[in-house]
Amino acid sequence: MSGLLRRLLLVEWSGLAAAIVIGAVVLAFLSPNFLTEFNIYVMLRSFCVSLLVGFAQMVTLGVGQMNISVGALGGLVAISFGGMMEVLGLPIIVAVPLALAIGALGGLINGLLTERTGINGFIITLATASAFTGINLGITESIPFYNMPPALVAFGEQRFLAFPYLLIAPVIVAALLGLFFARTVPGRQLLAVGGNPQAADLSGISRGRVIVLAHVLSGGLAAVAAVLAVAQLGSAQPTIGADWLLLSFAAPIIGGAALTGGYISVLGTTFAVILIALIENGMVLAKVDPYWVQFLLGALILAAVWLNRWRAVRTGTG
Amino acid sequence: MTEASPETLVIRRRRPMLGGASAQVGLLAIVAAFWFVFSSLAPGFLSSFNLFALGRSLAVDIVIGFSQMVVLATGGMNLAVGSIGVCAVMMSGFLLQDLGLPIPLGLAGALALGGVLGWMNGIAIVKTGVNAFIITLASASLFLGAMLILTKAVPYNALPPEVGAFGRLRLFGVVSPLLVIAVAIGAVLVVLYRFTSLGRQILAAGANPRAAAMSGVPVGRVIVISHVLSGVLAAAAGLMVIARLGAAMPATGGEEWLLPSFLGPVLGGTLLSGGSVAVIGTMLGAALVTTIRSGLLVLQIGNFWLQLFLGLILLFAVLVDRYRSVYAERRSVGPR
Repeated sequence: MSGLLRRLLLVEWSGLAAAIVIGAVVLAFLSPNFLTEFNIYVMLRSFCVSLLVGFAQMVTLGVGQMNISVGALGGLVAISFGGMMEVLGLPIIVAVPLALAIGALGGLINGLLTERTGINGFIITLATASAFTGINLGITESIPFYNMPPALVAFGEQRFLAFPYLLIAPVIVAALLGLFFARTVPGRQLLAVGGNPQAADLSGISRGRVIVLAHVLSGGLAAVAAVLAVAQLGSAQPTIGADWLLLSFAAPIIGGAALTGGYISVLGTTFAVILIALIENGMVLAKVDPYWVQFLLGALILAAVWLNRWRAVRTGTG
Repeated sequence: MTEASPETLVIRRRRPMLGGASAQVGLLAIVAAFWFVFSSLAPGFLSSFNLFALGRSLAVDIVIGFSQMVVLATGGMNLAVGSIGVCAVMMSGFLLQDLGLPIPLGLAGALALGGVLGWMNGIAIVKTGVNAFIITLASASLFLGAMLILTKAVPYNALPPEVGAFGRLRLFGVVSPLLVIAVAIGAVLVVLYRFTSLGRQILAAGANPRAAAMSGVPVGRVIVISHVLSGVLAAAAGLMVIARLGAAMPATGGEEWLLPSFLGPVLGGTLLSGGSVAVIGTMLGAALVTTIRSGLLVLQIGNFWLQLFLGLILLFAVLVDRYRSVYAERRSVGPR
């Protein structure tokens, strides 16, 4: 029994799954509103954007980098997406790929700057984050685009029972990412470079190209998050992404990603975002100060870091 | 992230201890050029009112930069600078307004809180061995959340009038005493890093922790001390904002300080990999940032494009720095 328990504890998402189950049961007992169809729909809706934000950071963590500009790029994509539809009158089917391309382009800039100069990715993406936010504010002067196509707004609001249509995007992306990291050559190369850059070099992997790829993916995922956020809000707000930084690191790290690169977990990140959504929802239902969410998210990251450390020591990999 | 790559080791060896003097001359020239451009485009830029306002915000930017610089010296970073700053702001508001303590005690209490929060960061980093980025990212959220929960984000508007009066004080008609304090702090830091064994130990631990530990430097303790210092400096910057506003506002600091805290030291030539500080460079870096901010304001270009400018300047600065060191390396090695 203890052997099984220990093995379970060593799976990175086991603690998360337990916390989610316990949290859900407690909330169901405490609040009759928790298990209503509408409340679950509300939770799932906020889950969609958060998960993609977490994924956007997860891919850079995987290659041993970080992307401070996830939120800033998200904001820029969101207002570009909104502007293309409202000002230029482009149809959704054209605006979405263009928005994703802008995200990927932002990621490409991050990747090339980091890889070509060899400068710390933190400082590069801190600088580009400021630049992206500056372009966003310069274009919009902080005024949102309100006139979104009805089809997009409907997509952001409609649901099947408790399941919002928005959920389709993160489910597809999660499946593709899982496949990418588990089964494809670039996915494996990405993790190999993150795990041990020298060894990856020696086995003939082009380290630079893989790092750039990770940043492009990160930018693309941030763009998907931005498009979903616009659909969810029904307007393209310049403030989209302003509060993504902490969340973007919290999700993969609570989900068991190694800060040094080389190890990430799509499932773990997903569970972490579910847990965060649950905590936020619990706070709302309990009518607690929203400031507690900020406090708890910080505490949760520290706890996760400590737990990962403990697990690494126990398995002798640390 | 924490491991220094071979390239950065090469750069580090070629750097003088207090940052490249040539870099600082270049920076000074850039600041002077901006002053020339702004004052010729907008005569209001050189008005005594604008110079006074510029000096006051420069003082805050300098100390924010120092707060980051002392941790960069150890090869770490502190993303909680803004959170610690606002915690100290609200603490002094609480002590002065709610408890009615005399001003020196209120200020000391705020600085002490800054030190304690910095100490918590340092201890968490040293004990867990996790990199400073993630610990301070989490603690920034923790500190800010705790402050908001405790104060309910209500500002302290009824501080003793002397606080605001000090912020409005002008020496020789244009100089804010806050700027004098910031420069004095810089002088203390120069002495610390150049002439004391603690300062040398901090730089040694930042340059090469393993070598420092082998030569008897208590690396863990030195890192904790640096974080305490960073916390106290962040609190000092917060107190300067209180003097400027005459009130303790919960919207002070936070993430808004993140970029300026890195801009000053990095523009000034402090290495992110640790082992070097540039005190005067940090002051000049802050001067560049404040000048541009003030100039864009006077030219009425507005705050919207400011972020873009600051981001591009930071990028430009790190790229120039990178190529200068590559060039210096090539020249010393000779053609390959």
